[in-house]
Amino acid sequence: MRFDKFVQPKNLKTALEILKKDPKSVILGGTTFLRISDKNYSTGIDLSALGLKYIKEVGDQIEIGAYTSLRTLETDPIINKYFGKLVPKSLENLIGVQFRNNATIGGAIFGRLGFTEIITALLVLDCELEFEENGLVPFSEFISNWKIKRDILKKIIIKKNKGKCSYKMMRNSSSDFTILSVAVSNFDKIRIAVGTRPAIATLSIKAAQLINSDKNKIEEAANLIAEEFKFGKDLRAEGKYRKMIAPVLVKRALQEVLK
Amino acid sequence: MKLKLNINNKFYNTNIDGDESLLDILRKIGFKSVKKGCDTGTCGVCSVLIDGKPTLSCQFLAARAKDVKITTVEGLGKQADEIVDLIVSEGADQCGYCGPSLVLTTYAMKKELKNPTVEKINHYLTGNLCRCSGYEGQLRGIKKYMGVK
Ligand SMILES: Cc1cc2nc3c(=O)[nH]c(=O)nc-3n(C[C@H](O)[C@H](O)[C@H](O)COP(=O)(O)OP(=O)(O)OC[C@H]3O[C@@H](n4cnc5c(N)ncnc54)[C@H](O)[C@@H]3O)c2cc1C
Repeated sequence: MRFDKFVQPKNLKTALEILKKDPKSVILGGTTFLRISDKNYSTGIDLSALGLKYIKEVGDQIEIGAYTSLRTLETDPIINKYFGKLVPKSLENLIGVQFRNNATIGGAIFGRLGFTEIITALLVLDCELEFEENGLVPFSEFISNWKIKRDILKKIIIKKNKGKCSYKMMRNSSSDFTILSVAVSNFDKIRIAVGTRPAIATLSIKAAQLINSDKNKIEEAANLIAEEFKFGKDLRAEGKYRKMIAPVLVKRALQEVLK
Repeated sequence: MKLKLNINNKFYNTNIDGDESLLDILRKIGFKSVKKGCDTGTCGVCSVLIDGKPTLSCQFLAARAKDVKITTVEGLGKQADEIVDLIVSEGADQCGYCGPSLVLTTYAMKKELKNPTVEKINHYLTGNLCRCSGYEGQLRGIKKYMGVK
């Protein structure tokens, strides 16, 4: 990544104006992913001094500022209190502590990378995103359609639902990318998300319908996952391999939340 | 752009480009203990402490460093010697390239981990790659430092 100018706008309104006016400008998160890309930008917009680093409980929800580091999120007592540590578990194997102290939750979400594990985890929670221009947007909508391309993510809002959650992943070696990630929650109903296929995480419809109609059909629902999703190939695994692993991880996660 | 950096409690005035990494600037100023390894955020040898937290300086923009405290291994003084002596007494130091970052991260780990265990230590140090020692000797020394059997 290269950029000609580094700016620190005084507020989000000015930051958005710069972003909208100049198509070659870019919002800088922790720059962990931006840094390794080969792109040239005109202006790097830094929001690190605009009070976007926080985690707080507000009524029945948790609010997370977009500049909060992944390590802060992973170790925060509020985050660790809810959802059976689903969020920390989806972060704790990402490279190392030094990386996670720098990478931000806003960058991890906005990047919409197929291998970003926190996306798999957040999909099974009741989660909304707040943008400077687009306002409140459901998390799953932001992930599944790429309508929002140039905006500023301000905060992540998660409902403090009660119930069990489980996170499972497989990677060839520690700190490598995952070859598959699975999250399951059991609040009012069961939700199943499968990511790194290697495409970005998506919520299951068919397998989720089956398990919600009959909680004993763990094996059948897990096997249905292999049919419901497309599994592709990349440097780390063949599509066929992912297709075999997915039902195993989903089965284990379902067993955990239905125990 | 002009920048004043607080490195090991001393101030340094320097000129940087907005997109330069802290790693490149530290090495330009003369802190050669901060190594340039993969430069993609995976090997850990460029680690420094930013306000006490281990951070990859290859990914940290220098322009963002104006109000933070940067610590390199030179800034740890005797506290670094203690860790180094324990690692060396286990015969673990070979080429030494990953040494400064490992010492810094170990120092930060002791401050951060409340009840250290072998598992927690291994996990905390996942981001510090070593290509020659095989880790075992280093970990013996580090366990002694952490007071873990
Ligand atoms: C070497 C490497 C290994 C990785 N391994 C894993 C892994 O094993 N598991 C995993 O889950 N993830 C992995 N990741 C992905 C990682 O989670 C994300 O790349 C990282 O968290 C991005 O965060 P960042 O703050 O550095 O974002 P940046 O790199 O700064 O930004 C990413 C994108 O988001 C935009 N952006 C950032 N903040 C905002 C905001 N507030 N509003 C709007 N747009 C914004 C940027 O403009 C950019 O387009 C890896 C990444 C790298 C580089």
